[in-house]
This record gives sequence, C-alpha cells and structure tokens, in this order.
Amino acid sequence: MLLADSRFPAGGYAHSLGLEQAVGDGLGVDDVAGFIDARLRLVARADASLSVAARRSAAGSARAGLDRACAAALAALDAEHAARCPSPVLREIARRLGAQLLRSAATAWPSPLIDGYRAASAATPRPVALGVVGAAAGLDDRAVATVALYDDAATVASAALKLLGLDPAESARWVAELAPEIDAAARAIGADERPVCEQEPPAAAGLELAASLHAQRTERFFAS
Amino acid sequence: MPAEPERALRVGVGGPVGSGKSSLIAALCRELSSELRVGVVTNDIYTTEDAQFLRATGVLPAERIVAVQTGCCPHTAIRDDITINLEAVEQLERDEGPLHLVLVESGGDNLTAVFSPALADVQIFVIDVAGGDDIPRKGGPGIARADLLVINKTDLAPFVGSDVERMMADAAQRRDARPVLALSLRTAPHAAPVAAWVETQLAAFAAAGGHLHSTVSGVSDQHHGHAHSH
Repeated sequence: MLLADSRFPAGGYAHSLGLEQAVGDGLGVDDVAGFIDARLRLVARADASLSVAARRSAAGSARAGLDRACAAALAALDAEHAARCPSPVLREIARRLGAQLLRSAATAWPSPLIDGYRAASAATPRPVALGVVGAAAGLDDRAVATVALYDDAATVASAALKLLGLDPAESARWVAELAPEIDAAARAIGADERPVCEQEPPAAAGLELAASLHAQRTERFFAS
Repeated sequence: MPAEPERALRVGVGGPVGSGKSSLIAALCRELSSELRVGVVTNDIYTTEDAQFLRATGVLPAERIVAVQTGCCPHTAIRDDITINLEAVEQLERDEGPLHLVLVESGGDNLTAVFSPALADVQIFVIDVAGGDDIPRKGGPGIARADLLVINKTDLAPFVGSDVERMMADAAQRRDARPVLALSLRTAPHAAPVAAWVETQLAAFAAAGGHLHSTVSGVSDQHHGHAHSH
C-alpha cells in the first residue's frame, strides 16, 4: 500500500503521463476516463508485465543482493524496455522516474538488491525499477502488477484535477470504476508464465509522438 | 584538517511569488561566480521563465542552470517529495561538477513553504515590503525558521506604506537570533550582505566536512560537536 500511495516520495506528481498534451490538443473532462482506460490497455499492462518479470528475476537475490545472473537478467529487461519504448523523451522520463523510485525505496526498504540494481543500471526504467523494489519489499507478482496498473491510472486522474475544472471526487470515481479491470489484468499478468519478450508490447504510438511535442512546449505544468 | 566536502553546499531560496528570488539568485551568481563554481536548479510553475531569466543575465554558463517541472506542486517538490530536485541537483553536479554551491529556487509559493533539510543544507526566505509590512508578524515556517530572512524592495517602502523598521523588529521577534537582512535588489543589485552570509555558510560547510544542518529541521545541532555559524 505504501508503494502505491501517492504520498510515497517517488516524484510521480510532476507527471501527467500524456494527459497535459492531450488536453492541449482538445481532450475534455468527459474523455479522461477513456484516456485512462486506453493507457491501461495499451501501455500500463505492458509496463506491469515488465515489472512482474523484473520481480521474478530479482526475487532470488532479495536477501543476498544482486548476483551476476540476476544482474544480467535485469540488464536484459532494461534493454527490453528500451526496445519497447521508441520515444527518447519517454525513455528519459522512465529513467528519471525509476531513479526517483529507487532513491526513496532504498531508504524505505533498505536492501542490497536495490543498492545493487541502482549501481549496476544506467537506465533504471521505472517498470523494471518497480519490480526490483517489489522484490525487495516482499510483494508477489499480482501485487506488483496491481501497484503498476493502479499507479498509472491514479497519476493521470490526479493530473486531471490540475488541468481541468473538476470535482476531485469525480476523478476518484474514474479510478474506482476501473478497479475490476485493474484486478483482472493484475491476475492475468501474475499468472502469465511466458517470458516478457513473448508478451504483448505497448501499442500507443500516439502517446509516443505526443510526448515529443509536449517536451518542446515552453509552457507546461508537468514534466510529461 | 576537515575533509573537503564531497558535494556542493545546497542553498534553498524560497518565498512568495514576485518577492525577488530570481533577482537574488542572479545577484549571488554575479557576486560569487568569479571565485566559486555555482549551479542553479529552478522550480518553475508553468514556464521555464526563471531559468531563462537567469540564462539571459549571463551570470552563469547556460548549462549550469537547469529547470524542473513540478506538476502544480511547488510545495511538494521542495518539502514532501524532493526526489525530482535531488535528481536534478545530483545530475547537475555529475555533468558540471565539481561545484562549490548549488542554489535551488523554489516555485513562487506562500508563507508555509520550506525546504526539506534533505534537499537544502541551509535556506533563505525572501519576502518584500510591497507584500504588506504585517508579513513578518504573521510568521509561518519560512519567516520563523529559515536560516536567513531577506526583506527585499526596501526602496518601495515609502510608496506602499510599509515600515521597514517594524518589519525588521517583528521578524527579529519571530526568529530568535537568526539573521534578517533588508535590502533593495533594484538599487543595489549585488546583494553583498547576502553573498557574505553565503560565504560564511560555505566556510562552515567546508569546516564540517560537508555536514551543515538547517535550523528548519528543528533538530538540535549538538550531536555534531562542531561550531555552526547560524
């Protein structure tokens, strides 16, 4: 719960995950729930699969720290993330969010695994970082997937409050209504034994393109 | 001899919108950058105007000034979840280091915003006479506990009906022995007294081998066993 709490200091509040650019392009209040749902299906699911793969790779090293096999497996997942994320803007955002998460998690759940991954990885994409932290915190696959999916939805809903005139309870309802979908997706991801490279990659080219436009804006509240 | 600090001294500069944070930082850079390697992290609310303003003044090489976006949460970024700023400061030190001093400018905010001691070693709070001369009396964490309180725009006091003497007296009462400086960055753009204060902090930081604790933390400094200048 702490890991999924927006009060856990991981810097997510500075990101709208594409919503700011979408609102600039005309997306209205009534469309935000659809935007969150689309992210869940097209982006967050794939990211959650990567987090679960990272948790599985890291779980054996949770106590003793990063051994060579585990480091290699996580490096392969870093590369997998880069391959799935053609936008350099989004890769950099993922690196920064991952670094921020690891920084706070290293204090909250002191673990040689987190320290080892921070030292070994230059990329630290957030989905992989989340799996590593999940392993250090003793979460199972389904819990890691749930955190990944919930965090994506809640980050967009929270950004919507600042970008659009809105009753805060309304944005909470959007996330509440997605609970069954998040739960079902987390179960499915947790039960999927295939290696992550054989699973469905993210498929939101529009968000990839929009991220570059957003990064070039001189006036913006959010870092993404 | 104490060890050379491993990182730059981090000085937070906070205060309400328009009180003169960016001008103070420009003045400090002008005053200090001939002898020291200085970097700046700005926390703009909506634009990157503060960073651009500083780059335009030419007081520092452009690459030593970085801006972070705070998603409408200027408070959070300096106090509750400082990860964005810590990453930015460390990145700046990696790319441009070694630096002696990093100034972190908060997004213009209200009187309750203060820097976490995990982000800023010491902090300056900037208010101005035009915001009303009752501000020091009203207090708040920035007024009461910042390591240095700066009251800017004293040249405007006669025009806005503010009593600088009274502001100084009220501030002194709120702040125990912590220093207060009244100045006008428009008429004296070098801010020499503030630069001198920063140099004192740098000396204390170096003498302590890179441990300097802001009075904002509320933690007693006694456990360090070394002298503090604040």
